[in-house]
Amino acid sequence: MSDSSMSISRPPTPPRVSPVEMSQTRNVSVNHDIRAELKQQAEEMRLLFQRRGTLIVNIVSSPGAGKTSLLEATAKHWQGTRRMAVLVGDIATDRDAKRLAPYCPVEQLTTGGACHLEMPLVQRGIDKLGQDDLEFLFIENVGNLVCPASHDLAEHLRVVLLSVTEGEDKPGKYPKMFRTSHALVISKTDLLPHVPFSVDSAITDARLVNPELQPLTVCSLTGEGVADWCRFLEQRLEQLRQSVAWTDETNRSPNKVRES
Amino acid sequence: MHETSLVRSLLKQVGALLDAHLGESVETIRVEIGALAGIDRTLFELAFLDLVGESRCRGAVLLIHEVPISGTCLYCGRDIIIEGFRFVCPVCHSTHIQITGGEDVRLLDVDISSPDPSSCESC
Repeated sequence: MSDSSMSISRPPTPPRVSPVEMSQTRNVSVNHDIRAELKQQAEEMRLLFQRRGTLIVNIVSSPGAGKTSLLEATAKHWQGTRRMAVLVGDIATDRDAKRLAPYCPVEQLTTGGACHLEMPLVQRGIDKLGQDDLEFLFIENVGNLVCPASHDLAEHLRVVLLSVTEGEDKPGKYPKMFRTSHALVISKTDLLPHVPFSVDSAITDARLVNPELQPLTVCSLTGEGVADWCRFLEQRLEQLRQSVAWTDETNRSPNKVRES
Repeated sequence: MHETSLVRSLLKQVGALLDAHLGESVETIRVEIGALAGIDRTLFELAFLDLVGESRCRGAVLLIHEVPISGTCLYCGRDIIIEGFRFVCPVCHSTHIQITGGEDVRLLDVDISSPDPSSCESC
């Protein structure tokens, strides 16, 4: 009796349903580049600096290939006739920034262990620099031929340095870096008599990966090739500024362009 | 190393999708990794296993599709697949190639589990 009264007073139990039956699975199609947001940020920055007439140059190489020395030689060659600044990426120290500070405005970007620079860090460096009338903004990346290849830092020009002591086989071994660069600077050419490095073989190897790669040779220590390198940068700046002027002209008088 | 920051970004994006679709949990995340994306598949998977447990995507399974580098030969016009990072047209041997695929890491789709509307009395 007690059993039946208990069963009557018991609240109705809900049917037991497993979580799987209670939920439904939906497939949501995305097809979206995971890095799209960073790429968009880089693209906007690139356009902004193009309008300002500033050429952003991202310098990449393995550690010790001579990025800082090349920038020192560049600044010495121009002797203050060109407005340049450098964002220096380093894992731990500000040694490179200190070397460059006597020549031009420098901002240190310390990655705290990370192997490459990313757009937010560059953005912070640009804000701290606070220079909006530059002709050249150099970004000295962290020494590494792998990870920096995958990160667009809003540069107009990516330059990969290859020192003759590293060996001529590097382009084939690090294809993405050489594929995504615009210019190849072969550095430390004063050591060529002492090392088994063929400039021609290195360029041939690099062009298999990227036929558009513009090769240059420099020795920052002796100054050999530095004038050509600087002229190359000046030409690129000129092209950048002409492209802005052309765009402005097109926007102002579309009819005129259509006629021609 | 940069695989970790990519996975973190991926989990954040999938978490946002979960919110947007009022889902409860994520069952599957399908990702495409191009051969020229600069990403190591094993490191990507390890980073995922490390991070997924602490994210909104806890319990989700990662499925990776690897895609080769594809391009169009600017000389003969053929669509080609680039192997061994030799950017040479296998047909006409031209080196002038426009890359059309295999450079990105893409989030393809996700399976999101949500409460069944028919089992919800207030709906």
